[in-house]
Amino acid sequence: MTCIIPNNLKYTKEHEWAKIDNGLIIIGITDYAQSALGDIVFAELPKINTELLAHQSFGVVESIKSVSDLYTPVSGKVIEVNALVISNPEKCNESPYEEAWMIKIQPASQLEFDKLLSPQEYNEYITNQK
Amino acid sequence: MKIQKTSLHNEHIILNAKMAHFAGYDMPLQYSSVKEEVIAVRKNVGMFDVSHMGEFLIEGPQAISFVDYIITNDFTNLELKKAVYSPLCREDGTIIDDLIAYKLTDNQVLLCVNASNIKKDFDWIKSQISSFDCKLKNLSDEYSLIAVQGPNAEKVLKEVGIKIPENFPYYSIINNGLEKDKLLIARTGYTGEDGFEIFSSHAFACILWKKLKSIGVVPCGLAARDVLRIEVCYPLYGHELTDFITPLDSGLSWTLKTNRPNFIGKTFLSNYNPIYKLTKLSIKNGIPREGYEILNQDKRVVGKVTSGTMSIQDHKGICMGLIENKDIEKIEKYFINIRGVYCEANIHTKPFITGGHK
Repeated sequence: MTCIIPNNLKYTKEHEWAKIDNGLIIIGITDYAQSALGDIVFAELPKINTELLAHQSFGVVESIKSVSDLYTPVSGKVIEVNALVISNPEKCNESPYEEAWMIKIQPASQLEFDKLLSPQEYNEYITNQK
Repeated sequence: MKIQKTSLHNEHIILNAKMAHFAGYDMPLQYSSVKEEVIAVRKNVGMFDVSHMGEFLIEGPQAISFVDYIITNDFTNLELKKAVYSPLCREDGTIIDDLIAYKLTDNQVLLCVNASNIKKDFDWIKSQISSFDCKLKNLSDEYSLIAVQGPNAEKVLKEVGIKIPENFPYYSIINNGLEKDKLLIARTGYTGEDGFEIFSSHAFACILWKKLKSIGVVPCGLAARDVLRIEVCYPLYGHELTDFITPLDSGLSWTLKTNRPNFIGKTFLSNYNPIYKLTKLSIKNGIPREGYEILNQDKRVVGKVTSGTMSIQDHKGICMGLIENKDIEKIEKYFINIRGVYCEANIHTKPFITGGHK
């Protein structure tokens, strides 16, 4: 299984990706995650203004067989939620890094973001998982 | 426990299937996409390796009366070459397993049982057989089983050279002459669609699988099989049916034929008031999963989900659940507790989908 790991993103061991965009942190799930889950048929995301702590669950994605929690890698307030993921959860399989971003967070600080895995580190991590 | 492999295991690996352990076997969970596999079975045709299922042969002058005695459904009055679905119960009505019994000849009956229950069933049946003039054989390791399911099942089987008789109704079985005694073709399945289950030698199963694959029959895994059976509300042992409840608790009163002289569980089940009622529920936003609580209008827990999934066809959460029978008529509204949120559920009196089986 080859997974796409874009170079411009940061990663977590729970298979989320994060990137900074205009001072906000955008979070989604990785290609590896969507592929391991299979057809994603349902997604639940937080309400806008929800305050989250790093490593807290902010929602779930469900494949036909399983429910998986989504964890925020950084603390902060939810500023935007991607309604497309809720209405068309299959987008998580089709376009995990673009169309199916999940939430945008106003981070409490950038320190947590800086500590996330680099693309190389994440690649190494999932290679060892197989 | 050593994990077993079916004769088609290598085919699954070649197809890059996602594999999982099920009932002691390494089985394909899905190949391409569960959705595509489900749609193939509903609209066209798909095939499943279900070789993990158990096959028992009961043979002897009293084979038929013995099977009639151990199952709750009527086997004596069934025509030759026909099959019946039935629970296998104890004296106290609790369910050991559910199975399909095929009346092959006047003195031969094939039982197809759940993989996870092979040993339990075998021991139970053996313990009951002594006063009957027949013998029990476990042929589970000798037979492979491929299920070919969907509206085009008959067409593709004919295309690969399997003879299907003109008059071959649902729940029938034939002994195909190609490979005497070892090739049995039954018009049965677990998807609600028309389809066939082909019991054969391992070598024949590999050839058949490859031939069907080469003409475009979609390989389907256990995940699709689970969605398909939940959509048509077929129970699964370990979920809707267990060692602790009776067929009357789990929606199988239609399989209980008490107008027969004697069968195991008759006395108990004839006077039994069910504790549970198997109920079909759907929700718009969310997927009910096994173990989730079912609540009434007062938010009191009245039952639990036994199987749930997302219906591929209707795109809604669907489930079956066991609800306490006491005061069930007073329930006005149903809710399912999904991660702490009470989602209102619709009750269904009919299966979520009507399959196209003949």
